[in-house]
Amino acid sequence: MATVALLGNPNTGKTTLFNELTDKYAYVGNWTGVTVDKKMGTLRHTKIAVVDLPGVYSLNPITKDESVAIEYLLHGDPDLILNVTNASQLKRNLLLTIELLEFGTPVIIALNMIDDLNRTNVTYDLPTLAQRLHCQLKATNARNKKGVAQLRDDLVASLTELPPAAALHITYPTLVEQGITQAAKKLAAEHGMTPDFARWLTIQFMNQNQTIRAYAQAHDLKPLLQSAPFYDAQNFENQIFTTRLTFIEDTLAAARRQNTPTSQSELTNQIDRWVTHPLLGLPIFVVIFYLMFKLSFDWIGTPLSDGLNALVSGPISHGANSLLTSLGALPFLKSLIVDGVIAGVGGVLTFMPQIFVLFACISILEDSGYMARAALVTDRLMQMIGLNGKSFIPLIIGFGCNVTGIMATRTIEQPKERLITTLISPFMSCSARLPIYSLFVAAFFARNQALVVLSIYFLGIAVALIMAKVYQLVFKVKGNSNFMIELPQYHLPRPDIILQGTWDKGKGFVKKAGTIIFAGTVLIWLLSNLSFHGPVTDIDQSFAADLGRWLLPVFAPLGVGSWEIVSALLTGIMAKEVISSSMIILFHFTGRTALVATFANLFTPLSAYALLVFILLYIPCFSTLATIKAETGSTKWTIYSAVSSFIIAYGLAFLIYQIGSLFI
Amino acid sequence: MSLLINLVIAAAIVGFAGYEIYKSVKRSKGGGCNACDYQCDTKEMLKQHSSKLN
Repeated sequence: MATVALLGNPNTGKTTLFNELTDKYAYVGNWTGVTVDKKMGTLRHTKIAVVDLPGVYSLNPITKDESVAIEYLLHGDPDLILNVTNASQLKRNLLLTIELLEFGTPVIIALNMIDDLNRTNVTYDLPTLAQRLHCQLKATNARNKKGVAQLRDDLVASLTELPPAAALHITYPTLVEQGITQAAKKLAAEHGMTPDFARWLTIQFMNQNQTIRAYAQAHDLKPLLQSAPFYDAQNFENQIFTTRLTFIEDTLAAARRQNTPTSQSELTNQIDRWVTHPLLGLPIFVVIFYLMFKLSFDWIGTPLSDGLNALVSGPISHGANSLLTSLGALPFLKSLIVDGVIAGVGGVLTFMPQIFVLFACISILEDSGYMARAALVTDRLMQMIGLNGKSFIPLIIGFGCNVTGIMATRTIEQPKERLITTLISPFMSCSARLPIYSLFVAAFFARNQALVVLSIYFLGIAVALIMAKVYQLVFKVKGNSNFMIELPQYHLPRPDIILQGTWDKGKGFVKKAGTIIFAGTVLIWLLSNLSFHGPVTDIDQSFAADLGRWLLPVFAPLGVGSWEIVSALLTGIMAKEVISSSMIILFHFTGRTALVATFANLFTPLSAYALLVFILLYIPCFSTLATIKAETGSTKWTIYSAVSSFIIAYGLAFLIYQIGSLFI
Repeated sequence: MSLLINLVIAAAIVGFAGYEIYKSVKRSKGGGCNACDYQCDTKEMLKQHSSKLN
């Protein structure tokens, strides 16, 4: 089966193009680091395989995910490379293109985001570019599908009649050329390589590509290994870069056509003047988050959620009860199904609207191009802490799920920065905690729901940043890596991308309801209906009550006065959503309305807030701990993460409740 | 509905819950994530990463 490899710089719309070209949907985001591994698909209506590789600026890998591209070229043997470029950033994009053209596999260049280029009043003469680069070029705009069908047809046509492989030969300075020619000849003669591959390999080796150097060692490529000190001493890497840059500048100068200026290109600049402003950028970021929570908790999410809750605790619960009674179900089975499964799982599912609205907002921010600005704005703050904006991306992914957030730390090159970001990621308030926030803000902060949830989120960020600073000092991290992010033009978000992005982020929550939340619900039902002496009718005699009462003195200084809350907190280790379902079950309610009313007798607004802070920060769920173990490869760091987060959560909740009690 | 059927249904619910907990612990230990079942790219990468470590 023929294979097309998609390669290009980050943020060139590669994943969007992949989705348009293939039958498979891949997650699309408008910021660096979304594609962390290769994705596979088949070109629509064909059997041609398409591989989407992570965005890279060059074939010389710096991070783990960047090595996927060069490894694929070495071992994947694609029939055709589709090089996706950002048409308005060609000068930088063509640096990678040259490396691909030198590789020798036929290349088609997609000048993507062509509309962005047109808005800058510049166009390129494609025949001139094609003649200089010795390959086909196609103008596309994947977001509105412009040119995509034509590109698909061209790919099929090119694969049907593959053009003869003809690598691009740039003339490098004399000494470099001599070195390339000598080594390539020997490689071809001694190792049976094709002349093009031998030349490409030599250039990459001279360019200090670490993957290629390891490849040369592994294959004992003596013509390269013996000359390595000479190449490095002569600074061939720099000479190659300068030659390529000159070639690109000459090529673009020859093909560039300036059009009459329009005012459209100014829009992005005008918006950026405000949203990336050194002083106003951060407050705007906060306001945008506030509006997100307003939509989720006040304007759209909660009203829908209340409707769902009325449905679950009313008709569904009563209907199930009547049906089971008519079928002759015994009380314990009715209790298990109605008071356990329907109340617990159904109770958590009623929070779906808030979670989905929040994910929709995040998808809109991603697709509009704002997320890249948010990373830039937070970079200033991060730099004060000693981290860089690249840490912002895993942290914000952690708002969805800490597990994927921690996995995304792989885009950070420095091991110490990576470890620090991993350790602080669980402080990001993942979506699993939203149901419990929603319960408490409805009970105690009905008029300021969005503001209270926002404060919890930002408290999580503040704790994460403070801990990052502490770790910086403890690990003695000196300096930090540079953060480079491309700011795409603003787009009007596309509804289908928003819907797909929202569903991608939110479907985990729905699936979890049928798996771990269901399991946690049944477990807490069992614990609340059994004791050492068998089944109990009085929940105060149950295992759950014994356990909760035993630990209650520990939580009393935080303002917690009920064993049900303590037992529910313990189940949060399975998944944070289970805390809410456990509370509904332990308080014997079929829905959350009655639970919210009960809270009024158990908490004050102060103790409720202290408990929310504790829930925000205390021990991560089991999956997050397992991911920390997998990513750090260390049990020590995993235990440390669990213990330290508990201490921080306890300490902060204690301070809030105790100090607050002095004034309130 | 006889006592036996009641017991069988309850046992099935509890058994399924137990199986889900077992599956979740096993998946988490293997570096998976029970947040969602679909095989996202980050999970695929983690799997490869773990196999490299082993």
